[in-house]
Amino acid sequence: MAGSQDMFEAIVMADERFHGEGYQEGYEKGSSLGMIEGRQYGTLHGAKIGSEIGCYQGFAFAWRCLLHGCTTEKDSKKMKVLESLIGMIQKFPYDDPTYDKLHEDLDRIRGKFKQLCSLLNVHPDFKVSAEGSGLSF
Amino acid sequence: MKDSLVLLGRILAHPDSRCWFLAWNPAGTLLASCGGDRSVRIWGREGDSWICKSVLCEGHQRTVRKVAWSPCGNYLASASFDATTCIWKKKDDDFECVTTLEGHENEVKSVAWAPSGNLLATCSRDKSVWVWEVDEEDEYECVSVLNSHTQDVKHVVWHPSQELLASASYDDTVKLYREEEDDWVCCATLEGHESTVWSLAFDPSGQRLASCSDDRTVRIWHQYLPGNEQGVACSGSDPSWKCICTLSGFHSRTIYDVAWCQLTGALATACGDDAIRVFEEDPGSDLQQPTFSVTAHVPQAHSQDVNCVAWNPKERGLLASCSDDGELAFWKYQLSEGL
Repeated sequence: MAGSQDMFEAIVMADERFHGEGYQEGYEKGSSLGMIEGRQYGTLHGAKIGSEIGCYQGFAFAWRCLLHGCTTEKDSKKMKVLESLIGMIQKFPYDDPTYDKLHEDLDRIRGKFKQLCSLLNVHPDFKVSAEGSGLSF
Repeated sequence: MKDSLVLLGRILAHPDSRCWFLAWNPAGTLLASCGGDRSVRIWGREGDSWICKSVLCEGHQRTVRKVAWSPCGNYLASASFDATTCIWKKKDDDFECVTTLEGHENEVKSVAWAPSGNLLATCSRDKSVWVWEVDEEDEYECVSVLNSHTQDVKHVVWHPSQELLASASYDDTVKLYREEEDDWVCCATLEGHESTVWSLAFDPSGQRLASCSDDRTVRIWHQYLPGNEQGVACSGSDPSWKCICTLSGFHSRTIYDVAWCQLTGALATACGDDAIRVFEEDPGSDLQQPTFSVTAHVPQAHSQDVNCVAWNPKERGLLASCSDDGELAFWKYQLSEGL
């Protein structure tokens, strides 16, 4: 009698067992897919931020060369803001995506870049930063 | 109560367009208005009436949203939806555009001069607040671009005596900024409003800040310095701002502007329900938990939204208002208790 009861139980419980196994398999597959997708998303947006900051750095380095040897009071003000931007770019934690002030610092870099453009009286193509500021994690 | 705000005159200041904002010059003799017709108009009193002294229409390509006089009264700044801010210099009875400040990505929403006259702040739909420094040769240099707000910045205003800047935004917050090591930093965020904060006004002492919002309330914030008797916590050496009073239930629509009279302490509001209201602090009310009462209410002050209210800085009780209907109105506020 005990054997046949087990048999019935196996049949009765089959639904639940298969459901559980299916859930487990699906969960694992979903997790791994999600991980891949998340990694791709992170790489893509990390690269965007990197490219945006790289653009500012190139701009700043080029202007440092251009301003080299200029010594008026106005030029020294520009140089000061330029050096401050370079300092902020160098301090930015590129290898720590979990840094809690990442976006705050990024916004400060963007602000400093705009201030520099205003002082230099150049109109940059804001496309890079416009896309950048639309980032949402 | 109804009679305590008496209409003195009404002018169609910006025909067929909206009149957005008003600013009295520091001497209280001239009033600047701006509007959707891309112009700034300067009004002066002649006898009992107000007449248009100048029209500044060459500066902007789009709506002029706000205007501000420099503390010396010789310059006027105008902020426009064309993404620029113009600086006008007064020459005899006329005005000449001496500088155009560029840099904002889109609509400039507000402009304000610091009490020293050496600093100017602008804000924009691009979510940023810019601080500009003015040198002896009338040249303007950007000293900081602040990206603290997460949405459209609606208004900027300076503290009456310190170099402390406040901004109001579509992100429902008010932010305060001060200078720190060659740059400007956000030193406080005032959270409490449940919708867009449209305007701000400091009281004469600068210890209180009033903010008005799309949530139909006015909030009064009080500054607490580190080590204050009331035990309000401050972080580091920065003062902390706490909401000590909320005026709710008085307004039936968005409150677009709030003005704190520097002479009498009366608080006026401009509302989307076409009304103007004046509030005064109740005599003997607790300084840490003040209460205010309505002392004047004009339900149909204008035929459309009231956009701005401005107290004359020299003549007690003289109030100007303007509206979406393009009109500008002057009011006499009869001070309570025969003051």
